[in-house]
Amino acid sequence: MKPRIVLALLLLLPAGAFARTWKVDPAHSSLAFTGTYQGERFEGRFKRFDAKIDYDPGDLAHSKFDVTVDIASVDTANTERDQALPGKDFFDTARFPQAHFVTTRFRKAANGEVLADGTLSLRGVGKPVTLVVGFAAQGNGATLDVGATLKRLDFGIGGGDWADTSMIGNEVTVRGHLLLQP
Amino acid sequence: MLRNTETRWGSVAQAFHWLIAALIVVQGAIGLTMVELGTTPTKVRVFALHKSIGLTVLALVLLRLAWRLTQRAPREMPMPAWQRAAARLSHFLLYVLILALPFSGWLFNSAANFPLEWFGLFHVPGLTRGLDPVLKAFALRAHVVLFWVLVAVVAIHVAAALWHHYRQRDDVLRRMLPSPRKRNLFRRQGVLP
Repeated sequence: MKPRIVLALLLLLPAGAFARTWKVDPAHSSLAFTGTYQGERFEGRFKRFDAKIDYDPGDLAHSKFDVTVDIASVDTANTERDQALPGKDFFDTARFPQAHFVTTRFRKAANGEVLADGTLSLRGVGKPVTLVVGFAAQGNGATLDVGATLKRLDFGIGGGDWADTSMIGNEVTVRGHLLLQP
Repeated sequence: MLRNTETRWGSVAQAFHWLIAALIVVQGAIGLTMVELGTTPTKVRVFALHKSIGLTVLALVLLRLAWRLTQRAPREMPMPAWQRAAARLSHFLLYVLILALPFSGWLFNSAANFPLEWFGLFHVPGLTRGLDPVLKAFALRAHVVLFWVLVAVVAIHVAAALWHHYRQRDDVLRRMLPSPRKRNLFRRQGVLP
């Protein structure tokens, strides 16, 4: 086959193998989390992340999320905490600058909710994580809301002296809100 | 006597005076030490302790002022007018400082968006809407400056009290101390040496 035809076939392949591919509007999308510190909740977010979304509620078998997060872009509205979080006691962004989440399969729960099973690689640890998926079509586009609860110690975030969960809670809820465009 | 008399501070006023004085000494020691600590959970706990004691001082000073306003102070000792003016000014300054110092700490904590829990028992709300870098820098500077001004005024206050006691041999210090009868009682109970 001529190289040009191979190329054309390769370009056709994703369209056939995946559900609808969306563009993410970064200005109206967010990746936020809630943790607890000294008995109080605090809100944080990652300012930079890249989400590749192939999703069709009618074609879950071919849907896929592939998200890369720039961990050093963490912002918790506290200067000292934001300086500490990239350090080696916490995210250790010098060694692990990115987190990566990729879905392995989508399924429907008994209550009708869509669940996305996947693998989260964070701070060098890969763990299965399941997202609850909310999808709402809006005109040509859509909003996609996902949520999960993680345990920071599963990923070695704040180990050693910082493992004390009475000071920093183990559970962290993560929420993604994406504005999808065709 | 709980209440002040013509010649003595009452036991409530004395308790406020010495308790707040002791807490301020502890606060100064913790404050100067904690800023040298590395970023560890120990540092977080020491800061939390400093904040809890500071809020306690603020509450005690407010109660003390309320108590002070409900009754007369003991009669002022005979002394030259300039000394009386200096005494009044330094006492006024001390009240202002021991209010402003914990308040500036609370303001700094609020503007920095740090947690605030009184001895881990209950949440104390912030004074700002979360992070405010300009106010944070101002409050921190105010906290440090106010501390060193307090150190200076306390030094004058202590020196004046000792001067009255040992040089003038008057009752200025004695009337802020438990009466001789009570002092003997405290000695028997081991509270005083």
